[in-house]
Amino acid sequence: MDLAKVQELVFEVVAGLVADWDLDAEIGATTRLVANLEFESIDIIQMVVAFEERLQRRNLGFEKLLMVDGRYVDDLSLGQIAAFLHQRLAVAA
Amino acid sequence: MTRTLFIGLDGATFTILDELTSDPYGEGVTMPFLAGLIASGHKAPLRSTNHPLTPPAWVSLMTGRNPGSHGVFDFVRFKDMGHDVYFTLYDARDIQDETIWSLAGRQGRRIVSLNFPMMAPPPDIEGCLVPGFTSWKHLRRNMRPEGLYDRIKAIDGFDPKELAWDFERESKIGEDMADDEVEGWVRHHLPREAQWFRIADTLLEQENPDLFAVMFDGTDKIQHQAWHALDPALRPAEPSESWLRLRALCLGYFRELDGYIRRLVERAGPDAQVFLASDHGFTASPRVVRINRWLGEKGWLTWRTAGDSEAEKRRESANFAYLDWTKTLAFCPTPSSNGIAIRVARGPGEPGVPEADYESFRDTLVAELKEMRDPLTGEKVIRDVLLREQAFPGAAMGDCPDLTLVLSDYGFVSVRNVAPVVSMRATPTGTHHPDGIFIAAGPGIAPGASGRFSILDVPSILMHSLDLPVPRNFEGRVPDGLFAREVRVGPASRRMSAGTAAEPQVADEASEAEKLRILEQLKALGYLED
Ligand SMILES: [Zn+2]
Repeated sequence: MDLAKVQELVFEVVAGLVADWDLDAEIGATTRLVANLEFESIDIIQMVVAFEERLQRRNLGFEKLLMVDGRYVDDLSLGQIAAFLHQRLAVAA
Repeated sequence: MTRTLFIGLDGATFTILDELTSDPYGEGVTMPFLAGLIASGHKAPLRSTNHPLTPPAWVSLMTGRNPGSHGVFDFVRFKDMGHDVYFTLYDARDIQDETIWSLAGRQGRRIVSLNFPMMAPPPDIEGCLVPGFTSWKHLRRNMRPEGLYDRIKAIDGFDPKELAWDFERESKIGEDMADDEVEGWVRHHLPREAQWFRIADTLLEQENPDLFAVMFDGTDKIQHQAWHALDPALRPAEPSESWLRLRALCLGYFRELDGYIRRLVERAGPDAQVFLASDHGFTASPRVVRINRWLGEKGWLTWRTAGDSEAEKRRESANFAYLDWTKTLAFCPTPSSNGIAIRVARGPGEPGVPEADYESFRDTLVAELKEMRDPLTGEKVIRDVLLREQAFPGAAMGDCPDLTLVLSDYGFVSVRNVAPVVSMRATPTGTHHPDGIFIAAGPGIAPGASGRFSILDVPSILMHSLDLPVPRNFEGRVPDGLFAREVRVGPASRRMSAGTAAEPQVADEASEAEKLRILEQLKALGYLED
């Protein structure tokens, strides 16, 4: 899957997640989970599940995205998520 | 036609229900309908899973298998990556045995399943499924079939925020609260239960499924924080104003619950068999045992200092271990686990106990845990230490902490870095007791009372009530004398493959070594043949 396709998929999954949340935020590569979409930790877990369900795979290694040098990251942009998934899917393919 | 109505009551115990179905204090009978159901039906205490915790216990009730087989041990799942440990939540995909929803569905029965834990993401089901323990933000996606959310949204008074689980709020369970704070807590859970009832009532009427199952969990939440207002043993000789108010509020909850049970039983009709069960009971926990603090003082665990970022602070205050993983040999992952995971080194110089020293390290740990005492009274604080291969034998055992602690007061451990290791609470809190409840009533049910049943018997009973054979690999049984009709045994339930359940273990050296050790332990106990 090329990066543009992965990005589209990320936007679609995240837009589906936040559909009932009454937010005004736009969905795009620079949209940030915590800052723009009011994500809490439980929402991040749900997002991971949603990607795993969408891609029908569980071993995508999201912990590598969520933890850097043993520390949890503060926030993530949808662009970062797409880049991560693109790379993971390429490795697996 | 609904043949089988199952009402789950999280944490319900006869310690409380016996009182609420009679009138020992002249308060009136709080649960008259339940009293009648018990009088005309069959009653037994119900022994929970070896660690009486909500997710493993309900999943055992749904699969007929012990947690070592079905694979769900806690709310939180951890993955030891050597230099770090990653925490996430268990979910439906981790269940490695087939549920009764699936078993009944593929034998032509229609099902409605409401508010059971570990049901998201929702498995395919012949009927309707609304998972429990799911935040309001994720309800729509996690219901089956598609479109159910909009049907439920159309119910008068529906409010997803009132209905759903709030992780932040629920993590306060076990903390000391003043009576007015507890009052707020109880008040919050009243409308939640009403929301679940309205969904249940609507779907029972609209769907009329063969098996209708709903779980109410306000019982558990209220008993955790307001136990001192309910437990007959803790009733004060001279009750204060605030105690009386809290008690009245709690009784109000149970009175409402009695009404919900009555209306569901009436809606199901006189031909339905009715079953009520809890995943565990309740009792008082007066003591705090800070198990990671203890491991730290023993030198087996090293705490980590949090960075300044918001995420770091959130992580540190979260209810699971925040440790220096390079210097930690054993740790308790979460309070709810009551477990201790022993880390085995992936190689020379890697963090953990060398593989060869595992048994002796574990023996030392067990011996020292059993000797832990309350400094004030000299009493032992740990009743038992369960080895996973004994308490949870099965293919999924490797995901279970190596040791499971049963505290003397059945309490949950604390994972906080606070001294001292053992202290007393200002007010005893409610904690899970291994004995829950079982009640059955309706046509074909023999009235009476029995000695203890097992939680693993309930799925066998439900299959039988649906006039389906009981899978031969179910670990429970249909207790003799409960039904008039003879029990049929049928093909085993299915094992969920790696594709549908948990991901296969990453095949690195450590997990291979770990797997071998687990196989050895199972062989030694005779669970596996050579
Ligand atoms: Zn429970």
